[in-house]
Amino acid sequence: MDGEITRSWRDPELFVKALPSVLLQTTCFLAPLLMTFILTFQRTRDFQLRWTWDLATWTEIFSKPHYWTILGHTLFMAIACVIVCIVLALPIAYGLATRFKAYENEIKTLITFAFITDATLKTFGWVLFLDKKGGANFLLSYIGFPPETVAFLFTDWATLLGMVYNLLPFAIFTIYLSIDNIDRSLILAAYDAGASKFRAHWEVTLPLCKPGIWAGSVLIFLLGVGVFLEPKVLGGGKSPMSAELIRQTFETRVNWPLGAALTLVLMIVAVFIVLLFTRVAGMKRAAT
Amino acid sequence: MSKTWYSDLPQYYQKQIKAMGLDEAGLNRRRLLKGVAGAAGVAMLGAHSQQASAASQMTYMCWEGYNDPRIIDPFKAANDVDIGFDLIVDSPGGFAKLQAGASREVDIVSSDMPWITRMGPAGLAMELNADDYADVYATFYDQFKPPFEPLLSDGKTIGVATRWGWVGPCVNTDVTKPEVWKTYDPVFDPANKDKICVMDWGDWPILPMALHAGIDPYAELDAAALEEIRKVLRAMFKNTRTLVGDLTQAQKGLLDGSLLGCIGAGSYLTSAVRKQGHKNIVGLVPDQKNGLKQGIIWVEATAILKETDQPDLAQKLLKHVVSKESGHILSLLDSTCNVVTNKAVEELYTPDEKDILQVDYMWHAWDNSQMHRIAPNIDDMLAIWQEELAAAQ
Repeated sequence: MDGEITRSWRDPELFVKALPSVLLQTTCFLAPLLMTFILTFQRTRDFQLRWTWDLATWTEIFSKPHYWTILGHTLFMAIACVIVCIVLALPIAYGLATRFKAYENEIKTLITFAFITDATLKTFGWVLFLDKKGGANFLLSYIGFPPETVAFLFTDWATLLGMVYNLLPFAIFTIYLSIDNIDRSLILAAYDAGASKFRAHWEVTLPLCKPGIWAGSVLIFLLGVGVFLEPKVLGGGKSPMSAELIRQTFETRVNWPLGAALTLVLMIVAVFIVLLFTRVAGMKRAAT
Repeated sequence: MSKTWYSDLPQYYQKQIKAMGLDEAGLNRRRLLKGVAGAAGVAMLGAHSQQASAASQMTYMCWEGYNDPRIIDPFKAANDVDIGFDLIVDSPGGFAKLQAGASREVDIVSSDMPWITRMGPAGLAMELNADDYADVYATFYDQFKPPFEPLLSDGKTIGVATRWGWVGPCVNTDVTKPEVWKTYDPVFDPANKDKICVMDWGDWPILPMALHAGIDPYAELDAAALEEIRKVLRAMFKNTRTLVGDLTQAQKGLLDGSLLGCIGAGSYLTSAVRKQGHKNIVGLVPDQKNGLKQGIIWVEATAILKETDQPDLAQKLLKHVVSKESGHILSLLDSTCNVVTNKAVEELYTPDEKDILQVDYMWHAWDNSQMHRIAPNIDDMLAIWQEELAAAQ
C-alpha cells in the first residue's frame, strides 16, 4: 500500500524509542518474575535458603489439596466481588453520567475520597460497625430489633462486603467514563425508532458501555484475588485467601520457595481466567 | 471595603471562615505562607543538624517500644550517636530480612529469643562474653543469669534476655471465672462456640494446643505426634469465632464480652488493657496436665550483629536497654506492658504498676510453663495449621 510505513527492529529510531520501555519492563517486571521462578526450585532448611535445584516445592503444591482449596475460594470470592460491584456500579455510574449531571463534581469528589482513604481504616471501621456490640446492632436495637440482629461479622459475607466496599469505586469510574462517552444522538435515534426506555437502554446504552464494564471487571478481579486485609479483619481469618496464604508462607514459615511458587500459581491462574474471559467476550463480539 | 486574605475565595468559603472565627485570628496570606515556609525550613534544618551533629550512626532492629525516645534519647545524647530503627512486625520476618542482607546494615537486634538464638548457627550474631556483662547480670533475676540455656548455641551466649511474659488463656473475669481456665478445655466446649478467639500469630496458638494434646512441641516429633496436633487444631477451629492478627481486635472483644477467651496470647495482650484500668482482663496459665506444663514463657533478647562496625557502641546500647531505668520504661509502654529481666526494676514499680504487670502472678506462671525455644518441627506444625484452616472453610 502506498504511504505505508514499514517498521522493523532494524529501524534505529524505533529501537531507541522502544529501549526505555523495554529496559523498564525487563528490570522491573521480567527480572523479578524470573527470580521468583528460579526461587521455586530451591529449598529452605533451618529457615535458610539452600540452592538445591529440585522440584520439591512444586511436588508439594500439586500433592496438597489445601493450596487448591484456598485458591478456589479466592477465585470464587473475586468473581462474586466482580458481579456485585458491576451490578451496583452500573446504576450509580449511569445516574452520575445522566441524571445527576448537576452534582457530578460533588459526587465524583465523594467517590474520590473513597480512593484516598486508607483501606485499613475503612476495613476496621466496618468491624466497629458490624460487631456484635457495634454501631449497626446499637441502631437496630434502638428501633426495636432484637439484640445482635447483625451477626455476620467474621464470615465470608463480611469479607465480600469489605471487598465490594473497597473496590466499588474502580467499577464506578470505569463504567462512568464509558457511559459519559456515549453519543446521546444514538439513544435519541433509538427513541425515534420507537424503542422504549428499557429497550433503548438494553440495546444501545448497555452494549456501548461494555468496554467500561469489561475494564472494571478485570481491574476488580485482579485486585480481588490479591486482597488479604478483608478476609483477615472482616472474615475473621477463618477462610483465608491466597494473598494471606502467601504472606504466611513467606513471613511465618519463612519458606520463600513455596511462597514464590504459590505466587506464580495465583498469577498464572488469574491471568488465564482473564485471557479466557477476553477470548469468550471476543468470540461473542465476533458472532454479533 | 478592606481586602482580607480570604476575600478572593468564593462567598461560601468566606462565610465559613467568618463563622469559624478565622477572619479575626490575625491570619493573612503572607503570614500563612511565611509560617508554612518557616515550619518546613525548621524541619529541614532540624533533620540536617541532627544528622550533622552526631559523630556516628547505628541501626537498631527491634520491636516497637525498644525505640521509645525516653530510652533512646539519653543514650544518643550521652554517646553522640544517631540511631536509625528497623522495626520488625514479626520475628521470622526480621530474621529473614537479616539473612537476606540486612545484617550488613544492622548493628543490634532485639527480637524473640528463639530467633536471637538462631542467629548463632546462622552466623549472624556475635558471641557474647558473659564476663563483659557481669555488671548487667548482677541485678538480673536468677532465672536469666548465665548460663541461660535457651540463649546458648553450641555453648556460646548469643544474646541477653530483656523482656518476658507468659502465654496462656486471656480472659475477662466479668464473664468467665479464672478457675474454669485451669485447663484449655473451655476452648473445645460446644457451649463456647464462636466465643473463642485465636491469635493468628504464627506458632503461638499452635504450641499451647499441642501441650493440651499432651505433646511437647519443643521435642522432636514423629508422625503420630503431629497427627495429634492436627486433631486438636481441627477441634479448636470448630469452636473458634475468629482468628485475629491484630492485638486491639482481641482486646476489644474481651473488653466488650463478645469473646470469652483468647488463645495464643498472654500477658502481652492483657497488660496494656490493664494499664488502662481494666483489671478484669487477665492472662492466666493453666495447671499442669499429665506432668506437662501448659503455659509458655516467652522471652525477648538482644544480640549484637557480627558484621557491626561499632561493636563497643552496640554493647553499650545493649547494656543501656537492660538497665534499671530503661527496663522500667520498656515494661510499661502504651502498646504493651511486660515484666523485664532486671530485678532492680521492681524497686521502681508503684503498687498499681505491679498490679498491671501481674507481678504477684508471674512466678506462678513461670513455674507452670515451658520455656519457649526453637521447636524442631515448627514448619510441620505451621503446614498442618494451614491445611486444617483450609479444611475448616
